[in-house]
Amino acid sequence: MKTLLASFFLPFLPFLSLAQPGNPPLAVTRLTTDGAFKSHLQWSADGKKLLFTRIHQGRMELSAMEALPGAKAIPLIVPSPNTPHFDGHWSPDSALVVYVHDTLQGTDGKLQINTVQADGVGVKTLVPHKAFDESPRFSPDGKSIAWVSTRDGNQEIYSLEMASGKINRLTQNPAFDNNCSWKGDGKKIAFASSRSGNFEICSMNQNGDQVLRLTNHPALDCWPVFSPDGKSIAFTSNRTGNYDIFLMQENGENPRNLTSHPGQDNFASFSPDGKRLAFISNRDGGFDIYTLRLQE
Amino acid sequence: MLILGDTPGRSFTRRGVLQAGASSVLGLSWPALLQAGALEKPKAKSVILLWLWGGPAQLDTFDPKPDAPVEFRGPFASIPTTISGVRFGELFPQLAQRANQFSLLRGMHTGSNDHGVAGTIGLTGSIAGAVGLDGKPRSGQARPTTGSIIAKVRRLNSGLPSFMVVGGKLHQGKKAIVGETGGFLGSACEPFRLEYDASEAKTRIPGLELGQGLTPERLDDRRKLGDAFAALFSQAEKNFLASAWSGHVEQAFALLLRPEARNLFDLNLEMPRLRDQYGRTRFGQSCLLARRLVEKGIPFVQVNWSDHVEAEEDAGDGGWDHHYRNFQIMADRHGPWLDRAVSTLLDDLKSRGLLDSTLVVAVGEFGRSPKINDKAGRDHWEHCYSALLAGGGIQPGRVIGSSDARAERPLTRPVTPADLAATIHNAMGITSEQSQSMGLAVDGEVVHELF
Repeated sequence: MKTLLASFFLPFLPFLSLAQPGNPPLAVTRLTTDGAFKSHLQWSADGKKLLFTRIHQGRMELSAMEALPGAKAIPLIVPSPNTPHFDGHWSPDSALVVYVHDTLQGTDGKLQINTVQADGVGVKTLVPHKAFDESPRFSPDGKSIAWVSTRDGNQEIYSLEMASGKINRLTQNPAFDNNCSWKGDGKKIAFASSRSGNFEICSMNQNGDQVLRLTNHPALDCWPVFSPDGKSIAFTSNRTGNYDIFLMQENGENPRNLTSHPGQDNFASFSPDGKRLAFISNRDGGFDIYTLRLQE
Repeated sequence: MLILGDTPGRSFTRRGVLQAGASSVLGLSWPALLQAGALEKPKAKSVILLWLWGGPAQLDTFDPKPDAPVEFRGPFASIPTTISGVRFGELFPQLAQRANQFSLLRGMHTGSNDHGVAGTIGLTGSIAGAVGLDGKPRSGQARPTTGSIIAKVRRLNSGLPSFMVVGGKLHQGKKAIVGETGGFLGSACEPFRLEYDASEAKTRIPGLELGQGLTPERLDDRRKLGDAFAALFSQAEKNFLASAWSGHVEQAFALLLRPEARNLFDLNLEMPRLRDQYGRTRFGQSCLLARRLVEKGIPFVQVNWSDHVEAEEDAGDGGWDHHYRNFQIMADRHGPWLDRAVSTLLDDLKSRGLLDSTLVVAVGEFGRSPKINDKAGRDHWEHCYSALLAGGGIQPGRVIGSSDARAERPLTRPVTPADLAATIHNAMGITSEQSQSMGLAVDGEVVHELF
């Protein structure tokens, strides 16, 4: 009976202890204190490191650090003022990072998708510059990436089969589709879309079929990310008047505010065991990395 | 025709005007000019110009077009404001709540889509002397920037500079643009520049940098200060810059010798919670610094959002020139940062009783193309953009002018940067006669509907 009850309640565990009126706030731990602007946060597969974009000394760069309070952020690639790189994502084995490489030209830039080894060497071009290309994300099996491109005129989501080099267009809509994120089983992709008039969280099958609208709110909803078990999705929303991290079930039900803070909370990333959520917030002034504990 | 400032004859006498003309040449103080009856009583004592370098998109900020096709309106929704029927872009919820505390010009337009040229026009009200990407100066001598004109007529007896810029020099590419100086008004009207270094969380005075981390906070005794002064002057002499530097350096050191003046720049004297409310971005903290300066009576403070126009290449918060990634940058950074900093600035000024006497203007050099390009960005657009004005005699809650269905062109009440400059002069009580007495040509017309 206990086992039966546990299996019934297990999918809802993430929603039982969330910050909401009457509930105690979730325990938050601050990891960095440098305050530099950070974005695009991702936990490594072993849960020991965090990868993120940082504007450091006027340069936008990829940095990595141990997922511990006070750990030092180290640039992944030697930064150059004319080639910002950002929006990185670790491969499932954390051996590679796929990221956006920008070559500044006057007041314009040329974006392309590159990969680099986790130690910062071996830079390779994965998707040569053709248009605005951003947000590359490895599929859970590491065999393909999804990313955002304007190669057909406006922001759409595409996938690239790494072995064959075949590119598949996954979305086709005159609105903006971006901020893609794979589900752990590789069968679905969550993304943000403005097709309903403002940015909402949607999901689709990995081939682009069956687009479902998961949120329905006049505020901005963006940067969705699946929990490791695929049963919930964290995302950013300004429905409280400022950016907070929300968590909802995979089907969009039961959205709950995890952060409930007047600061700007953004760029959620689950730890591999699903027990913690890392995010970036300016709640203490600068933009720093924090974690909150979802469950014991 | 005398059109800069208010209408002649309405609020001052001809004798006073003549006396004012002579007075400005003779360097009489502002109170003396007022006493002479040459000037209308100013609506504002100070101006804070928030210069949004690179050009924010009118559609994504204060002039959304929710009924336009998606390739124009973009991905952001519009939200209601505290003014009935007026909507803002959804990234500005805090300003939307305060819309009844400021007014908007939605029919701004300018004469160039080149950052350098439009920057000169925006800061001086004239294209004269502007240099764009082509490197060729436009005809005529560059006019003094608005802050320098204010500094000329509002010289402070306290010895504090009358015109301060918070932020680095404005650049297009690697070249500083024309339009941030006092020109023929002389070195006394040059801006005194401060920079807030967000990475170090400190205020810097670039003119006094000796490469030793010299900051106002570290100038804790006169001996150290004297040594620093001697070293700097020696360096300036070696570089044959002594004559050009001496006036400014002397002014700076005279300022720094006075602890109460040095305290002006020290944001550590502010409550941490208030600093957080402004946002610990360079722009946010620069806005707080601007409030401290006007609180001490500085007549004109210009806050530069960034040194460069590009979003990805800057020591500040990155400019507003979003040819690509416009919507991501707006959502992640520029939108929330602007919303937070300007909202807090208005609240802070209001709570201290300073808003009525401080004119706040937020504007860039131009707008951005209504048609979204193929890089999820918007390009330069000189034909239509918006400006925000608050305090300093501005009647709040007004939207002056309108744009067409796609925010491509002004539909009603077009306003130029020269008109905006004239409006600022007017709020500060500067008449066209006084401007002419300083040798300034008069181009713009006051936007009277704002007052």
